[in-house]
Amino acid sequence: MKKILILSIIMLVFISEGVTASMKINKLNLPETIGVWSRPESSKKIDSTNIFKYMNGAGELYLGYRFDHLEVFDYTSKNSGNILVELYFMETSDDAFGLLSLDWGGEPVIFDNTPADSLNDSIVSWSMALYGAGLMRIWSDNLYIRIMTLNESPDSKQAVIALGKAITVNQTTPLEPKLINSLVPQIDEVWKLRKNRLSFFRSYLALNSIYYLSHENILDFDLTTQAVIAPYERVLNSGKKTRCQFLLVKYENQERAQKALNNFHSLYLPEHKKTISNSSEDNLNLFKIEDGWIGYKLINNYITIVFECPDRGSAMVLIQNNETSLRRNFGK
Amino acid sequence: MKKKNLTITRRDFIRGTMGVAIGTSILGLSWPMNETNAASPSLVTVVRDKNALDTSKNVNIQILKKMFEQALINHTGQKNSKESWLSLVNPDDVIGLVPTDWLYPTHDEVVDVVKSSLMHAGFSQDKIRLAQGSPNSAKECDSLIAIPSLKSHWLTGIGTVLKLYIMYSGNPSNYHQSNSARLGEIWNLPFVKGKTKLVLVDSLYPLCNKGPQADPRYQWAYKGLITGTDPVAVETVCLNIINKKREAIKGRIWPLSPPPICVEAADKVYGLGTSRINEIKIENFGWEHDLLL
Repeated sequence: MKKILILSIIMLVFISEGVTASMKINKLNLPETIGVWSRPESSKKIDSTNIFKYMNGAGELYLGYRFDHLEVFDYTSKNSGNILVELYFMETSDDAFGLLSLDWGGEPVIFDNTPADSLNDSIVSWSMALYGAGLMRIWSDNLYIRIMTLNESPDSKQAVIALGKAITVNQTTPLEPKLINSLVPQIDEVWKLRKNRLSFFRSYLALNSIYYLSHENILDFDLTTQAVIAPYERVLNSGKKTRCQFLLVKYENQERAQKALNNFHSLYLPEHKKTISNSSEDNLNLFKIEDGWIGYKLINNYITIVFECPDRGSAMVLIQNNETSLRRNFGK
Repeated sequence: MKKKNLTITRRDFIRGTMGVAIGTSILGLSWPMNETNAASPSLVTVVRDKNALDTSKNVNIQILKKMFEQALINHTGQKNSKESWLSLVNPDDVIGLVPTDWLYPTHDEVVDVVKSSLMHAGFSQDKIRLAQGSPNSAKECDSLIAIPSLKSHWLTGIGTVLKLYIMYSGNPSNYHQSNSARLGEIWNLPFVKGKTKLVLVDSLYPLCNKGPQADPRYQWAYKGLITGTDPVAVETVCLNIINKKREAIKGRIWPLSPPPICVEAADKVYGLGTSRINEIKIENFGWEHDLLL
């Protein structure tokens, strides 16, 4: 009897965890009216089967993250234009963060319910809501939100921000993807990570929109991969700035990482001899190509690649420092 | 002649070897692989009027009509719009108007102005139809008037002229990913090739970053119409405008990513026109503020 009771309790815990996971977005509080704008009773629902019909090729952006579904509310008014509210329900908070991270432009908006410590976490102070010219974009747990008016005015701006606040008021404060914590903010007091240019993604199409690499998926991205790209910048005594791009990708396992890197080398660096093994000594590959030095390294199920370095030494230093950080953070 | 399908990379773009990497058509077409050498420059006409839109972005129809008439007459070199149309289109043709119809659409007023101009020139209303959306729409037409809206695109850099016919492929999502550089081949489909008599770009309120989702930070009132018969030349001029606006916003060169490889491919691989600015003659009329040319 005791065993049955314990088992029942365990089952109840698992069931409630499942319910919590599927209802991770706490009940949204979307007002029926805001200022002179009012919304229809129900939303328009979009999923992966009709997303192209709704937004043509823009749908690939969201499918490139772990998109679950989209709910659209069109707030209308008599004379003040519309306010479009798009609620992108993603599978994880990382994916919602990723969508916001593709563009850090805009004025940060602090909602009253934003805890102070979420503004000072890890390597950056993340703005979870950004506003510009009538468009507000928000990362709220596993929700990515776009609220947009094409007729910006003081009233519509107020309404847009108020809607953002109302939608997010009951949501949990998210943490940024763990992967980005590996990136070293400053190296040798020379190379500084440009935090406001950092992006998290899973798709090569998203990568191309930040830093074009290839029309093919040469690094074998899919929804199981995690990647972060960010520029490092060096300012010389002359005041001249040099910038290179640092890419870190996490795969499901080492075999996939190795295969992806082999493919990348074959297609991107076919004229150069490669050394890809898991031995840390001979695993760092550095080559001079048209736009500078490129370097890469396989670290178990991770790969690191640095592009457009001004010299061999910089490429080496950027990869080695980030490798040390990666091993420290993930016990690799 | 079919070429081995090579992978296009950033390095091809930097080295200018993209044409070799484009490879075979996904539609099984053959096309001229030689670079087209323009016998004479491709003419692109830009007409703007500062009152084309009011502060609420409403279109002034009367001004728009005048702008279009000026663009059409200048482009064809004829005396009036009737003779202009007759120099472009056969009077018995079924004429398809092809606007951008969804997510950053062409202004309805621009489509209406084209339609009413055709009717005023004596073309039968029965033979003028909207032809966007499916291969059959193009198959039923003898002539096409391409009327895209000016916008950048997150998948192809620019999503204006060349992307307009993507629905004619029958499977537009085929061109979202690795084949996005091959948009030009759709223009060479047997039921599309040679039918486009005029390209008119609605540049009243363009978008210069990402797209096709709107972003008011990167939209502005250019208040223009851009006309030509060389679709690649028109696209190139549009690209110039987008790039110059981006530069004005950031205060530095702000390259599109991904780069608009489809434009160069449309020229060098598919032979649709010229992407070389020195082979394009741009004539502009009207409002010159922030011309971006």
